[in-house]
Amino acid sequence: MLSAEAITKTYRAASGRVVAVDRASLVLERGARLGLVGPSGTGKSTLAQVLALLLAPDSGSVTIDGDRIGVWGVRCSRELRHRVQLVFQAPRMSVDPRLRLGDAILEPLAASGLLPGDAGERRALLGSWAAQVGLTADLLERFPHEVSEGQLQRACLARALVVRPRYLICDELSSMLDVSTQAALLETIAAVQREQALGVLLITHDRVLADTWCEATADVGELSVAGQRQDAPAAARERTSNFGRLRRRRTFRSV
Amino acid sequence: MSAGSALGSSLPLGGRLRQRLGDAARHWPVSTRVAAGVLAALVVVALLADVIAPLDDTAIDLDRVLEGPSAAHPMGTDEVGRDLLVRVLHGVRISLGIAVLAALGAVAVGVLVGVLAGTMGGRADAIVMRVTDVFASQNHLLFGILLLVLFRPALGGAGAVMLAIGLTHWPTLTRIVRGELMSLRERPFVAAAVGGGASRWRLARRHYLPHLLPAVGLAFVLTVPHAIFHESAYSFLGLGLPAHQASLGNILNDGQRSLLAGGWWIALFAGIAILAAAMTIGTIAEYWREHLHPRWRSELEL
Amino acid sequence: MSARLEVEDLSVGFRTRRGIVQALTQASVTVQPGELLLVVGESGSGKTVLAHALLRLLPRNVDVSGSVRLGDQDLLALSPAELRRTRGRRMALVPQSPASSLNPVRKLGGQLVEGARARGLSEAGARKRLRELLAELGLDLDVVGGRYVHQLSGGMQQRVVNAMALVGEPDIVIADEPTSGLDSDLVDTTAAQLREIVARGASLLVITHDLRLAARLGGRLALLYASRIVELGPTAAFFEAPAHPYGRELLRALPEREGKPIPGMSPQLTALPAHCAFADRCPDRFDRCSESVPELYPRPSGALARCFLHAER
Repeated sequence: MLSAEAITKTYRAASGRVVAVDRASLVLERGARLGLVGPSGTGKSTLAQVLALLLAPDSGSVTIDGDRIGVWGVRCSRELRHRVQLVFQAPRMSVDPRLRLGDAILEPLAASGLLPGDAGERRALLGSWAAQVGLTADLLERFPHEVSEGQLQRACLARALVVRPRYLICDELSSMLDVSTQAALLETIAAVQREQALGVLLITHDRVLADTWCEATADVGELSVAGQRQDAPAAARERTSNFGRLRRRRTFRSV
Repeated sequence: MSAGSALGSSLPLGGRLRQRLGDAARHWPVSTRVAAGVLAALVVVALLADVIAPLDDTAIDLDRVLEGPSAAHPMGTDEVGRDLLVRVLHGVRISLGIAVLAALGAVAVGVLVGVLAGTMGGRADAIVMRVTDVFASQNHLLFGILLLVLFRPALGGAGAVMLAIGLTHWPTLTRIVRGELMSLRERPFVAAAVGGGASRWRLARRHYLPHLLPAVGLAFVLTVPHAIFHESAYSFLGLGLPAHQASLGNILNDGQRSLLAGGWWIALFAGIAILAAAMTIGTIAEYWREHLHPRWRSELEL
Repeated sequence: MSARLEVEDLSVGFRTRRGIVQALTQASVTVQPGELLLVVGESGSGKTVLAHALLRLLPRNVDVSGSVRLGDQDLLALSPAELRRTRGRRMALVPQSPASSLNPVRKLGGQLVEGARARGLSEAGARKRLRELLAELGLDLDVVGGRYVHQLSGGMQQRVVNAMALVGEPDIVIADEPTSGLDSDLVDTTAAQLREIVARGASLLVITHDLRLAARLGGRLALLYASRIVELGPTAAFFEAPAHPYGRELLRALPEREGKPIPGMSPQLTALPAHCAFADRCPDRFDRCSESVPELYPRPSGALARCFLHAER
């Protein structure tokens, strides 16, 4: 269970302090599909980064499978970081342009000293993940600027899954992609979910997608994630089940 | 360049570099090819100067004072009868050598300060950048002269010149490195790397360095022509290398005096050598700069 | 005021180091005055290239063949001076992500007036026209003019950019990915705004990969795959019964339908096959599909489909 309690994060902007996330709480179970919908600028990405242990919140706590997180970012232990992985919105910005796709996919293992020593084993491992996300072998040799956005995002998904995370956060995974690639990515995630009881948080502005693919969907406003924009919606739409639980708080808006 | 491929299927680093250069060279425009050729010749000459024609600063031959270009002395002789061609060849070696070392010094200081500012951020970054601004706002020549006057007794001519050039040119590198670092740290792929378990060291080595290297390399190459000009200027003013040493600036200085006596070839050939060295490097560097980033960031908008 | 746009056999190839990238192959389509045409396809299908080719916004390393006529003008043969007069006045572009196509450090008022004046209006005329247009879109020039881009919400930015496109009273407006970066709540609003453009008499060409926007807009739809138009016909007919297998499979991938992905990936534009480009992934393929490229065959619904299934026997 990945649980976040009263997460708050503010930024100092030229116009004063902006409250990106205000006392947001949520719980994600293993094997669950949770959707988080809302317009852009409402702190979803910030919350995603906090949950993925990449960004330290100003206050609040995150607990993963009983372990409470004390430090964030590079100082957090590798094992904890591997438990939650994040797939970003813009695939072209989230790969190092100097790495070939194959190298980019295996990079988390290389960085953590988990890469198999034998070259044959490495190729086999890469091959199996590439096949799972639908990448052909010739694409693995290419650089990011030589492949399409869809192919890049498949590689990013493979990179996130290669460390066998327990929880996957998808921050606008497919908003820049066509429906077929979106369906392919979600199918891969569903397959991995069945095999490894992966808990998935799907952050998207596409309400229809969230409602059809996820078991429970929360509106960003309900988590008390604050927005900077005046026209952030306040529609309350929530279905709860045994797998995903969202706590309702007083909605706070900062201008 | 990525630090080795996990796929294990790529060529060793040197081989890949040669292959890339070969691929790239096919697309060079004429100006760059000419520049590369001339520069290669200059470098070869510089490296083999001692072998081709050993220099003897004391080879004074007063019978042959200020002779124009001839078969025996293709560049003529200087005011004490020394063969100019030999002196110019060695001058190229000395001047290029000092310029490269001085540029390296500037790079070393600049990168260090830039990394400090870029990674620390906050108030430390602000203080460091103000100090950098102070150095950057100095007039290169005047500040360099001050440094030469102060340090020449302690470090000798060559050393003081290198210090002067180094201390006047490092701010540019600091700005480049700091700018690149700050933009890199914001990119999602750095966050993804952190999520994958990278340590700070791994981030620096695997992600920051390969991105910084081309920019730093380019800045280094662009600093060399500046260094050549500065060294020549300081020596010409009599503040650089010892007067008898065959640096291009010194030869130019000699040439100035000889002009009045009708000896045009000394200043001419020394000047051509300086220009050749500086312009060829500059041309290649310009081409490199234009084609550096597009390689990694271009994709067709379809 | 509005003229007919006739595109015939338009092909665009990019000369790159990796070879020729055939971005668009023999595209032919006609847009009647006041008509709405959707150009739909995934990124890399050639839809943006089509729009840029019409506006002559392509880079220098291209080979363009075919013809594009707006009324009686051949757009591909215009001189730079004539081109400047055409862009903005006869043809206007509503670019992707309005926030990045407006100058972030200038107040909007100045930019809008300058843009309008570039289209031949006088200072006073420009202000008047802008005021009218913005008012129709629900905005006040005085209020908006004093703001910077980032001070407006996404929806407002879109309306400002729409107004800019309409200020020169163009014959045809091209909207490039109007919903990219926008939340799906705003799709309806965007669709309404776009339909307003058509209501004012201009023809509208909408480039998009967003099928939901396409469904809401109606009009006619041209589906692109691997640089070719594979289906062309009424949008409603497409969503009800797509004629081309690619269109059919694409709709099946929508989460509200089956969410089923199309196996495989689109071919690389540097290596397009000499037969039907969709054959490798098509569940209905047969022998003829791997032999040659199909023509666009007519369907009873009035649509055209580039598929041998519909060829005359």
